[in-house]
Amino acid sequence: MNGQRHATLVAAATLALTLTPLIGVFEGLGWTVPVLLTITAVAVAGSLMRAAGRGQGLQTLAMAGALVVVLTAGFNGGTAIALIVPTPATFSHWGELAGEGVQAIIVNAPPVPAEGGILFLTLLGVGVVAVLHDMFVVGLRTPALAGLTLLTMYLVPVSVAPDATAWFWFILPAVAYLWILADDNLRRVSAFGHRFTGAGHLVGQGFPSPLARTARWSAAGFIAVTLAVLAVVPTNTSGLIDNVAEGFSSGENYSLGDVNPWAQLSGSLNRPQEVDVLRVTTTDESPRYLRMHVLDELTNDGFGPNEYEGGADVADLDGPGSDAQVYEAEIENLVMEAPVLPVYGDPVAIEADGDWRVDGDTGVIVGDGTDMGDVGTYRVDYTESVPEPEALADALGMDPGDERWATNTAHPDVPEMADYVAAATEGADTTHEKALAVLDYLSAANGFRYSLETTDAGNDEAVLDFLETREGYCQQYAAAMAWILREADVAARVVIGMSQGTRDGDQWILTSHDYHAWVEVYFQGPGWVPFDPTPASGVPGSVGFPWATEPDVDEAEETTAPAGADDPAEDPSAGPTAPSDASAEAEADPTADPTAQADGGDAGTATRFEPAWLALLLLLGLPFVPALWRAGVRRSRLGPKRLSALTAWEEAADLALDYRIALSPSLTPRQAAGVLAQAAPAAREAAAALGSAMAHHRYSPRGAAVEGLADAVRDLHTELDKAAEPRVRYRAVLWPASLAARLTAGRSGAEADAGPARSLPQRVRSALRRPRRSNSRRERSVTGRP
Amino acid sequence: MTFESSPAQPPQGPTPLSPQEFKATAEGILTNVEWVIEGKSHTIKLALAVMLAEGHLLLEDVPGVGKTQLAKALARSVDCSVRRIQFTPDLLPSDVTGVSIFDPEKRDFVFKPGAIFGNLILGDEINRASPKTQSALLECMEERQVTVDGNTYKLRSPFMVIATQNPVEMEGTYPLPEAQRDRFAARLAIGYPDVGAELALLDRREEYNPLDALRPVADADMIVRMIAAARAVHLAPELKRYVVDLVAATRTNAQVRLGASPRATLQLLRCTQVLAAMDGRDFALPDDVQQLAVPVLAHRLIPTTETTMGGGDTKAIVSDILRHVPVVSHPGRF
Repeated sequence: MNGQRHATLVAAATLALTLTPLIGVFEGLGWTVPVLLTITAVAVAGSLMRAAGRGQGLQTLAMAGALVVVLTAGFNGGTAIALIVPTPATFSHWGELAGEGVQAIIVNAPPVPAEGGILFLTLLGVGVVAVLHDMFVVGLRTPALAGLTLLTMYLVPVSVAPDATAWFWFILPAVAYLWILADDNLRRVSAFGHRFTGAGHLVGQGFPSPLARTARWSAAGFIAVTLAVLAVVPTNTSGLIDNVAEGFSSGENYSLGDVNPWAQLSGSLNRPQEVDVLRVTTTDESPRYLRMHVLDELTNDGFGPNEYEGGADVADLDGPGSDAQVYEAEIENLVMEAPVLPVYGDPVAIEADGDWRVDGDTGVIVGDGTDMGDVGTYRVDYTESVPEPEALADALGMDPGDERWATNTAHPDVPEMADYVAAATEGADTTHEKALAVLDYLSAANGFRYSLETTDAGNDEAVLDFLETREGYCQQYAAAMAWILREADVAARVVIGMSQGTRDGDQWILTSHDYHAWVEVYFQGPGWVPFDPTPASGVPGSVGFPWATEPDVDEAEETTAPAGADDPAEDPSAGPTAPSDASAEAEADPTADPTAQADGGDAGTATRFEPAWLALLLLLGLPFVPALWRAGVRRSRLGPKRLSALTAWEEAADLALDYRIALSPSLTPRQAAGVLAQAAPAAREAAAALGSAMAHHRYSPRGAAVEGLADAVRDLHTELDKAAEPRVRYRAVLWPASLAARLTAGRSGAEADAGPARSLPQRVRSALRRPRRSNSRRERSVTGRP
Repeated sequence: MTFESSPAQPPQGPTPLSPQEFKATAEGILTNVEWVIEGKSHTIKLALAVMLAEGHLLLEDVPGVGKTQLAKALARSVDCSVRRIQFTPDLLPSDVTGVSIFDPEKRDFVFKPGAIFGNLILGDEINRASPKTQSALLECMEERQVTVDGNTYKLRSPFMVIATQNPVEMEGTYPLPEAQRDRFAARLAIGYPDVGAELALLDRREEYNPLDALRPVADADMIVRMIAAARAVHLAPELKRYVVDLVAATRTNAQVRLGASPRATLQLLRCTQVLAAMDGRDFALPDDVQQLAVPVLAHRLIPTTETTMGGGDTKAIVSDILRHVPVVSHPGRF
């Protein structure tokens, strides 16, 4: 195998290795086949062109052509000629696919099925990167740059699914990069000739050179240190161990459908770009939350959905059973894909395409082979029960004899929880009191802050982390409340759905940032009653529940409410009038949600420090450090205090170095000035003045005058800059050679200072070296090399 | 005629020359000489510098390029005693130095001074003289005095020998031994004139020899004062170090069997001073040194046999050294 073919293979293999983190992004491994096919096609096309002795331009074209063929074969939509020749229609089809893919990426939380637009975009990206990668590694022989392509590929899964991308996925890209570097170096060494050990023994082509061992060990050490740092530094949500577990388990545990509801929740909330998901028209003045999933199974992994049983068909819903007010909602699905149908309160009638069933236990409307993606617009008639706080205060919790008791109070045995439960439910007896006590406990007044960035306090259970750090978002709030209530023998479960959203005329727009989680507590009589422990400031479109406050405190706090605000006690639908502004709502209606402590919550989000931004800023500024340093040196030299013929001349000499003008040390100042003048003819006078000043400074008994020297240096600088080629000019600014020379001169200067008083061994060595001159001359003549 | 004249330094009586006066006078001499020798101002300048540094000059070039003309023009431009010796194989040392002959009237030996007793001595075709005569001349050049029959006679000041030598016609000649060449401060070649200079030369010599029309522009006293003024030119420590480095480099150079002597160092520095003064400066620059390095150093070096066989010559070696020795011995600076 020749070197280039080998390098092609290495390039393809390393790229494939770097793609392994995509395992966390896609469902299943089906996507690997087309991806590997794309990489192979590109590599083969490039390799064939190389074998034919064509240049880099043709190689790149061939690789791009191979990519187009692969994409056409996979995504022609019936528009291609002979399946692989694209037509204009193919390209417009691709455009649609790409748009679809972008939408899917924005909406869906990983893991996503690898199909349609997403797969197209993936293959296109992989293909383009493969072309660049091959170019860097094989064609242009700049393997260091290949790090960029590898990084690009690695960053995609990391940015899309930071949770699903476990730390150990970093190893493979790192190893891949080292492989490229090592392989290229080996090629260079082999091309040079024989390889030797340090002791001068020949080493066979296939064997590793002992000299390389050091490099290999340091590379291994580098990876180990990086991983250690990654393990210590807190990552999102839970710690290292959880991420590993998640990396392995996501996408398998849940039988209900495609998506882990938690992952979808956090993925949606963390997505920087907000996307409209649903558009709702309802007769309800202030709709509550849309329920989607009910998580009533609490294990060591946290709350998860029980298996939905899919009972009665939605067509068989009873209709309004009582005299409760029936609201009518028409919901238009914009982009949502989910196995459940989001509905308000207690639906009494549903008109939706497809086969939907009502889960008996939870009331979740689950698709029987139907997905939300198949539903355009659907209608829901529903009632919203509004229990009076007084009624709840008197109501009993779930009867332990109830068949649902075990499911809804089960919790893992975590001894550390006992203290938190005791503190949270202290003095509370009834179910309602317990619920309120927990709400109080999780309020901002008790130090809890809303934050999408959760930190790891090092506990086994994420819930303990939350209770300790007191930072989290709806997921942590809801889970913690339900868990504590369960420990306090109250039947509670977590519900995931969407918050109220924002009003748009007479419609409500629900976006990807409106995904939300809250708690339902069971009371005998009213049944499951929602409570929302999350601070309203953190949840756009948060809804206050009037019963989530103690009946006797109600009066007292109501007086503090600004006049004109909706009175939640009077308005059963209980809603803020301006839900789009979370903090305004919190101020206007403090009684609605005791956790809505605007000050605590707002301060938490507003002053959140972004170390990533600072790091980015530093990273962006890093390339300009040498330039700033160089400018500082220049300013100090030309400053009125330090300015002398010598400093001016040093600056001129450094400018020459920066602009790649060779000034031999055997040149006198005047001659050097002549060379400078040749490089920048317009600055002839400035250069001559500088040279003459330096000559006077060094050789005249009277020294030199400094007038005009600073200006002369500036003139010289301007003219040198004008005369230089762009490449040289940028280099002179961004990475001035004189700085590097300064750094090395700092070292050798220290040695040179010790020159006259050289140590004895040095003198002996130099004395021994001198007589060998004739030998070295003979060697020169033999090798023909200086 | 007195044979004991005062040494060139220190200057007595007259005020020392300012750099500007020095420059003006030197330029006067140079213009005068350039009237005769067309287009060779640099060579003339160096020749004058050697003269004002109290050094002796060896003009080595092919016949007919104006060696003798240059020497004569220089001599005529300065109002001083000029003697000319045409060296031949049968020239005797006493012809150079002088001889004591018996005066029957005085009944005593009377010293008849030889050709060496002048301010400016033109030694034409010095390599045609026998080694014995050559060495007599060379001894006078170094000692600046003549000893005949136990009596020592001081030579005049200024005293300068301009010797010419023909490198091509070697039949029946006694080339100067390499070691003897060290006595000459500098060796200059004149070279052929370029087309323009040669045309001008033809025009000028149509009617008369310009050499005949030459009038002196300086006298011996002025020369003495100029010599004194040149010696006062400031030599910075860095410059001395540079000169020493250059000379030391000729000694360690791999292509050289014998490097330049400390006398070379001294003479290089003195010529440097003159060149600086001729430029109107009272301090010397490495640029001055670089102009003089080849003329002052090259003729003293003895190249290795390999170098000679390889066609290398000592001028190239000195040029090479100039390109490699740092002007300032700090690393990384120049």
